[in-house]
Amino acid sequence: MPYFWLLLFFAVPFLIALKISFAKAAIAMPPYTDVLYWVDGFPVVKLRGENYLYLLGDSLYINAYLSSLKIAVVSTFLCLLLGYPMAYSISRMAPATRNIALLLVILPSWTSFLIRIYAWVGILKPNGLINNYLMYLGLIDSPLKMLHTPIAVYIGIVYAYLPFMVLPLYTNLVKHDHRLLEAASDLGAKPWQAFLKVTLPLSKAGIIAGCMLVAIPAVGEFVIPEMLGGPETLMIGRVLWQEFFNNRDWPVASAVAMVMLALLIIPIMIFHRAQAKEMEGKLT
Amino acid sequence: MTSAITSTPIPAATPGGKPDKRGVDDYLVIDTVRKEFDGFVAVDDVSINIRKGEIFALLGASGCGKSTLLRCLAGFEKPTAGRIVLAGADVTDLPPYLRPINMMFQSYALFPHLTVEQNIAFGLKQDGMAKEPCQRRVDEMLNLVQMSKFAKRKPHQLSGGQQQRVALARSLAKSPKLLLLDEPMGALDKKLRSQMQLELVNIIETLGVTCVMVTHDQEEAMTMANRIAVMEAGRFRQIGSPDEIYEQPNSRYTAEFIGSVNLFEGKIDKDEKDFVTIACPTLPDPIYVAHGVTGFTGMDVAFALRPEKMQISKTEPAEPHNKAHGIIEDIAYFGDHSVYHIRLDRGTKVMCNFVNQQRWASEGFTWNDPVWISWGDLEGVVLTS
Repeated sequence: MPYFWLLLFFAVPFLIALKISFAKAAIAMPPYTDVLYWVDGFPVVKLRGENYLYLLGDSLYINAYLSSLKIAVVSTFLCLLLGYPMAYSISRMAPATRNIALLLVILPSWTSFLIRIYAWVGILKPNGLINNYLMYLGLIDSPLKMLHTPIAVYIGIVYAYLPFMVLPLYTNLVKHDHRLLEAASDLGAKPWQAFLKVTLPLSKAGIIAGCMLVAIPAVGEFVIPEMLGGPETLMIGRVLWQEFFNNRDWPVASAVAMVMLALLIIPIMIFHRAQAKEMEGKLT
Repeated sequence: MTSAITSTPIPAATPGGKPDKRGVDDYLVIDTVRKEFDGFVAVDDVSINIRKGEIFALLGASGCGKSTLLRCLAGFEKPTAGRIVLAGADVTDLPPYLRPINMMFQSYALFPHLTVEQNIAFGLKQDGMAKEPCQRRVDEMLNLVQMSKFAKRKPHQLSGGQQQRVALARSLAKSPKLLLLDEPMGALDKKLRSQMQLELVNIIETLGVTCVMVTHDQEEAMTMANRIAVMEAGRFRQIGSPDEIYEQPNSRYTAEFIGSVNLFEGKIDKDEKDFVTIACPTLPDPIYVAHGVTGFTGMDVAFALRPEKMQISKTEPAEPHNKAHGIIEDIAYFGDHSVYHIRLDRGTKVMCNFVNQQRWASEGFTWNDPVWISWGDLEGVVLTS
């Protein structure tokens, strides 16, 4: 039964997209040629690789991929820098306050993602919250350009994905045995040394999980660069959207998606193998 | 009372048997150490001097303050008042990482992400020791605890006993001036426990390291320690060698806490220089004790008699005193000895041990047998508190 759902919701859409990526755009309904058709009662499969070749040939796509990866990596790193201290301090709170703090982390995601990102437009725009306040203080004379810049994209992604960093880190850190830190201290480690030598390595799994949860969706992010980014913010999600809706080139759009998937699946598999190895070590 | 206990002289014949040297007696000085948590007094003005090379046990039920005192020594808790002086240096205000003290934690607290070797090397590296001497020291430690074969393993790949050896090696690697053991056998099963107790003592004594241990297990304290402090409600109730604590308890509390005991409440009847008698409502005749006590006629006392100090017989013993008649109500058979629960004629129940020296000796007594119990003039202890 679970396999059925997996098949229905993951495998089938994936296979359809994969199929389209091997077709050719056509002015038709649906707007692409068939991959599989019948000749004299025999099924013929015609796979066209030209969409993929096209992606390789146009620097727009390569740049979009690289830029997406860069934005994802930098925002993941920023999330880690912000999220680790948050998760660490929450894990050290008394259980009652801990639950409140966790709720505060999760609470914003109960409202619409779009609305929250739109709220940032209000905060960052030329006559928005930050600029008005700075001008009121007299620190600046004319509004700073923050909206529609790469910085706004970073702010948006870090803001939106921070809970995905904090929660796995928290789950990991809260399980740590406090006596290990005492043991480190007993053996001569100052608090910061104990953190580096005990807490940090023991939270490795949490760090990796958090980074994966942030980086993977951030690569394909569309809404944030669209609303907060400027025209120069090139991200693969936007390119995909343009191919699909503006150019109505479904096969190229599908090919873009497939390449993105391939780019993401390789690090995931490496991570998975590393984890499996570690588990193996634990069992023997 | 407390001051009288702390100044109890240490007899020359303590285990180890080394003669005391000047200044050795106050190697570790715990001077009126007090620890309060939000008004709750966990350690109540405790003072003790511990000798160099001694294994000193803090023994008590949970919540008696023994662990808090140990954590004060380690530096994890800061005493509310009092000083801790180790080898002439006041360590009271030092953080744990600056104290020349190492601890073997309860259930060991080994670093799960490090191998056995790395665990042992942790403290050495923290001191900035160079790679080669560090490795040599680790090998030496591994050898000492016979764990050389397991150097590359992770803690979760070891059994409980092996983990304990690693924990011991880790806490000894830095040659601490004081070793702390927190419930050292707590995580081991019974059989392994008695084996490891002796092994641990051997290692500690070979290295000559001074050791303070905390335990709630009296057998463990008796087997391992040179001296035991019985703690209750944040104070020392009695301090002495294991045999002193057992044979000469100073209060009802220690008598009942260590081993099993029969307590007869009564009043001093005759108070002579070389003997006293105690009248107990639960016994037909006064108890005769063949030594004087510091007390007065009519004083409320308890007479403590260990179950193995009594004889059990079917016929009335010839002695004129120190005997009572009753019937066997319960029998606990342990193989090597049996414990008979005897209901005396006046209604109280006493325990009496009988060593099964001959095979099938236990068959001599059975339920509801009328029996006599008796004891020697010097076998009990008169308790005034």
